[in-house]
Amino acid sequence: MRLRWNPIVRKDLQVTARSMRLSWGLFAYETVLTITFLLALAVIQQMSRGFYSGSNVYGYLIYLFPALSIAQVCIVALIVPVITASAISGEKERQTFDIMLTTCMSPFSIVSGKVMSAMLRILFFVAAGMPIMALAFVVGGLSWSYLLYFVLTIILLSLLSGSIGILCSAFCRRSITAVIISYVFYFVIYGLTFLPMLLRTFFSRNGYAGESMLLLLFNPIVFYEEFFMQLMAGESIFGGDGSHFTRSEVGFLTYHLAQGRVWMFLSAACIFLLAFLFLLAAAWKVNPMHSSSGRRRKER
Amino acid sequence: MLYINDLTKNYGSFTAVNHLSLHIPEGDLFGFVGPNGAGKTTTIRIVCGLLRASGGSVRIGSTAAAVGSRAMKRMIGYVPDFFGVYDNLKVREYMDLYGSMYGMYSRDIAKLTDDLLELVNLSDKKEVYVDTLSRGMKQRLCVARALLHNPSLLILDEPNSGLDPRARVEMKELLKNLHSMGKTIVISSHILSELSEMCNSIGIMNHGQLITAGKIEDIMQQVAGGKRMHIQVASGMESAVRIMKEQAGARIESVRENEIIILFGGADEEISALIGRMIQEQVVLTGFYREEGSLESLFMQLTGGGEQ
Repeated sequence: MRLRWNPIVRKDLQVTARSMRLSWGLFAYETVLTITFLLALAVIQQMSRGFYSGSNVYGYLIYLFPALSIAQVCIVALIVPVITASAISGEKERQTFDIMLTTCMSPFSIVSGKVMSAMLRILFFVAAGMPIMALAFVVGGLSWSYLLYFVLTIILLSLLSGSIGILCSAFCRRSITAVIISYVFYFVIYGLTFLPMLLRTFFSRNGYAGESMLLLLFNPIVFYEEFFMQLMAGESIFGGDGSHFTRSEVGFLTYHLAQGRVWMFLSAACIFLLAFLFLLAAAWKVNPMHSSSGRRRKER
Repeated sequence: MLYINDLTKNYGSFTAVNHLSLHIPEGDLFGFVGPNGAGKTTTIRIVCGLLRASGGSVRIGSTAAAVGSRAMKRMIGYVPDFFGVYDNLKVREYMDLYGSMYGMYSRDIAKLTDDLLELVNLSDKKEVYVDTLSRGMKQRLCVARALLHNPSLLILDEPNSGLDPRARVEMKELLKNLHSMGKTIVISSHILSELSEMCNSIGIMNHGQLITAGKIEDIMQQVAGGKRMHIQVASGMESAVRIMKEQAGARIESVRENEIIILFGGADEEISALIGRMIQEQVVLTGFYREEGSLESLFMQLTGGGEQ
């Protein structure tokens, strides 16, 4: 059996590669990354000259990695919803979606193809940013395996952002509405996962969050915080060896999940699951055989 | 070939398609006619798996595949009334995209693309960007795309809308050509004169219901009131009117100074007998002719003069 590309991925990449938007997007991406690099370098120089530095500038250069990585994570988090939120609604506006649905492609292949093409475009951007990232490794003394982990987390984040975008795109008729709603949805997910913990901390007598922190497994911000903490300091933000919380503060389950790198991997699995559920929901929505009778079309 | 049984589609309290049953035999070029809102597009969208029916069933050939299933989709080639294009995609790539969406391999698609582009007279446009083609060319490309997976049934929803006269003629020739190759084709259109030239059978819909369907000649015959006949009378007008009134199956539509127009559903022998009787009763006839029924007049009669 021959392995074949999803036709939508191939078409999207073909069309994008011929567009000037890709070149301008790359230019903007590289510019932001360069500015971040220079700013981070300036801050590191300031720190090394400071009263508390106690070492030379090279000791601080390791911080170029989180600075550049966070900049890339933020760009990816902002770009992917724009790409995918207009994917289905864009096809509808272009009036190509109905034809697509009459082919043998399943609704899940269509939505996953759209997300996959967005992820590949993002990886293209990340690859283009490698020379700047490489400087952080050369002068920062970090292992190349960290770069691999970083790319994997970027894939995970773009999958989540892409699935949110595609879900909104499946529900909205207009691209602009889908983009706006996907940003709202994005921030609601970030906010809602913090909410139980904040409520519990605020209303409990001892001010402890307890197991309500488990919901943070689905939060990409917390995932990245944990990722950088593990990579840079080798400890968890919740507990473990360099414990920030005691066992009674975070609850039994949370405390034990925070041992070693368990939380990071579990969080990655939870985010992946969430993204997959969003993809399934989007596929269900675009399937004409499943969705409700819908609006009445203009008849001839 | 296509069996539609008791098909119903409701949007809340509104019924777009009301218990529609229809059979289109293999090799037919079937015209779907009806005023705006009659339910033609809804029916087509249900058959193509783009809309879920509220009730009834659709079957193609002897297969028991469900609407919207992969097996059913393989049997249908759908050409919508619009033509969406992707920027930066060439004709060859456009065909390749849709071929691969049907699970075909690039090598097979490339071979078929050459044949189909020749069929739709677009061989020289293979390396041209799709969005630079004229509307007529785009519509023909859309037909080629719909034929790529060799479907048993080709469904075209308003294929001629927005086309200039030359493009319409080209499209008509293309469809006739495909019909002669044995393809079963269903066309929904407003241009009735073109449908009557192309189709061998039609179905007329109104308010979600199928009013009539069958061979064009049979339907013309069935229409209430029969064929319109003009009888020009030089003298004996009173006798002529009396004979018409007495004739079973005849209805006087108008009486002018020298002409009577009647609707008569009788056979040719009955018409001969009617003329013979008028001559016997000393009516002097100067002319007699039967109007050829048009699809337009038929449509207007059946839909009660509804909007076309």
